[in-house]
Amino acid sequence: MLLSQPVDTMQYRKFEPWLYLSPALIALALIYGYPVARLLVLSLQRGSGSGASFAGISNYQQLFKDYLFLGAIRHNLTLLICVPIMIVIALILAVFLFDRIRGWRFYRSTLFLPYLLPITVVGLVFSYVFQLSGVLNDFLKLIGLGALALDWLGSTKLALPTLMFVIIWKEVGFGIVLFLARLMSVDEELFDAAKIDGANWWQLHWHITVPQLSTVIEFFAVISVITMLSWVFNYVFVMTGGGPGNATMVTELYVYLEGFEWNQMNIASSVSVLLLFVTGGFIFLELRVRERLGAVEAVG
Amino acid sequence: MKDIPRLLAVVVATGLVIAACAPAAPPTAVATQAPAATVATSPAATGKPAEQVKLVIWWWGEQEAPGAQKWLDETVAKYTQAHPNITFDTVLQSTDNLELAFQAAAAAKQGPDIQYFWAGMGFLQNAVWSGAVKPVDDLIPAGERAHYINNYERTFDGKLWGVNWYLSGNPLVYNPELFKKAGLDPSNPPKTWDELKAACGKLNAVGVIPISGGLKDGWFGGWLFSMIARQNYDSEKELVAASAGAAKFTDPKYAEYWSRLNELKEAGCWNKDINSVDYQQGQDLFTQGKSAMLFGNDTFLKGFADTMGSWDKIGLMLVPKYGSGKLADTYTVTGQGWGITSWTKYPQEAADFLVYMHTPERLAAWFTDTGVAPADDRMDPSLISQPQLKQVYKWETTVPGPNLENWIPGIVDHDAMMTGAQLLFSGDNTPAQLAQMTEDVVVKWRDQNPDAVKNFVILAK
Repeated sequence: MLLSQPVDTMQYRKFEPWLYLSPALIALALIYGYPVARLLVLSLQRGSGSGASFAGISNYQQLFKDYLFLGAIRHNLTLLICVPIMIVIALILAVFLFDRIRGWRFYRSTLFLPYLLPITVVGLVFSYVFQLSGVLNDFLKLIGLGALALDWLGSTKLALPTLMFVIIWKEVGFGIVLFLARLMSVDEELFDAAKIDGANWWQLHWHITVPQLSTVIEFFAVISVITMLSWVFNYVFVMTGGGPGNATMVTELYVYLEGFEWNQMNIASSVSVLLLFVTGGFIFLELRVRERLGAVEAVG
Repeated sequence: MKDIPRLLAVVVATGLVIAACAPAAPPTAVATQAPAATVATSPAATGKPAEQVKLVIWWWGEQEAPGAQKWLDETVAKYTQAHPNITFDTVLQSTDNLELAFQAAAAAKQGPDIQYFWAGMGFLQNAVWSGAVKPVDDLIPAGERAHYINNYERTFDGKLWGVNWYLSGNPLVYNPELFKKAGLDPSNPPKTWDELKAACGKLNAVGVIPISGGLKDGWFGGWLFSMIARQNYDSEKELVAASAGAAKFTDPKYAEYWSRLNELKEAGCWNKDINSVDYQQGQDLFTQGKSAMLFGNDTFLKGFADTMGSWDKIGLMLVPKYGSGKLADTYTVTGQGWGITSWTKYPQEAADFLVYMHTPERLAAWFTDTGVAPADDRMDPSLISQPQLKQVYKWETTVPGPNLENWIPGIVDHDAMMTGAQLLFSGDNTPAQLAQMTEDVVVKWRDQNPDAVKNFVILAK
């Protein structure tokens, strides 16, 4: 039958899939491709529009001389400490829920609730809670722990750790639900066999649970790293504005200030390109982890 | 035959994508509901029909001068009644969005015909030097322009680039009742820096916060700079010149500001949580009767009186003196106002509307609605009955001085003045370190903005 089809129809069939893909490809190119290309071009220029001139990598060189940018990178890297903390907390809580403690369904919903709340709302509420004369300090004074009533958001030393607490509080729910879902698909016979062999609670979870969850843990870790590097703007903007004294400045806020407050679009574009490459690397890593996760689940 | 439906499907899908990617229609402004005008101010045009004109106004001001929305709605309604061919769309912008939205509009060369601008460097950089606004010299007669107050804030290269609307000044507000409680004479508030520090001590002794403020959102740091740092300067041009490199911010004249602010901190003048509360929360401590003094804004005075229940709880003073520059005896005041965009199709119509805003009837209505002085010397002072507002108007018209925050680069305002105030109150930096930090920020600004530096040199002359 194939031999009876005209040759031009066969040629058309080769390109047919691309015809069907073309609307989506055009949309992707316009929505993603053009802005990224424009960003790259802006990062290599001084000025914009008709007044633009090629500046090579001088914008990037200026960045690495700017104490504010270097501080922002340092703060983003400090925020990465949240990742192992979130993994440990999520793991422990997921295990407790998996052990079907009484009311576990209620706890599961409650623990996931912060993740569903808008960051702006969370930021606003906690910025009032953590004020020097806020709810937390009032409570600490009430129970006789007035010495711990510190200026959580007004101190350059405490503001970033306070932000980290809020980020962990909000983001850990996602990890709990991920780990619990994976735990529920693990073969119960593994746990039964380990119990028969005399494994205690710690041994059970260290030797069975953690290895079984390894790919999900990797996935959550990668997602969390991407969050800490490029998804904390809302927290910082609402709670501290980058202060006090730039103590909570992060790269996203730096991009916002340079680009929209101080009209330095070229500098802002340079930072954006750097962020794009770093987070792009992590996204690629996340995709590889997801492939492995899919392979493990297929085998399981 | 089977191929035709498939091909049709591809064509339809591609068409949908192209339609989706077509430029969006210009955003429809949230039209304000204008009340019906009751008085015609001038006869409607007769004869051949005039061209239909729609003027889009992006503005801010209700946040600073409550009552501005009512006034603008009425102004628009009256003008439209007198000029039926002219309609308006007014869009009230948020504080964070005002400049951002305009920058986007300027890049696209579409958006408002009339734009609200704060005065000073933001206006010059974002609007004048970028070519986003037109000079008004050819649109508004010189005799008319001469009546506008604080024109110098919108003048560059010999031309006037905007029209001021209302005046916004910064007195040191105090609560006479709390002064009495602390044994201070409310009719004789502190006049010198040492008297101010002493007053802080007396207020602390009776459990009253001497001066309240909030630095978390940053703005207040810039206000403190404007109101306190001025005392060593004779003119705002000294700041412009220093930004351009003619002097250093580590020079004693410029650096003293940090020492003086530190003195107030060391004297226990401030609320302890100043770094963890916003500007508004700091202001609320005054209206709640918890603090005795506030580096405030005169556009809020009517609101303070309403909140506190009486004008008797509001006293005003100039910032007590420590310096001997010409600006030490002046009242910080800026003119908030308008610009006519360079892409508008109706510059003369826009200018005529701005002139209408300055007619005596509109000036009187503005003051009645907001309690804020318009930026025009033709306002009838007899309209002002409140002694405090009379005092403000007297200062604004007899001893006006520049708002210094308007005369430094935006990044210096944010990274040095606002950030520096936070670092001072957190105890992380000494005054000398903050002076050096200011100089470092200015040097960085000069490296990143060589074109703006040239304009600063022109401005400093």
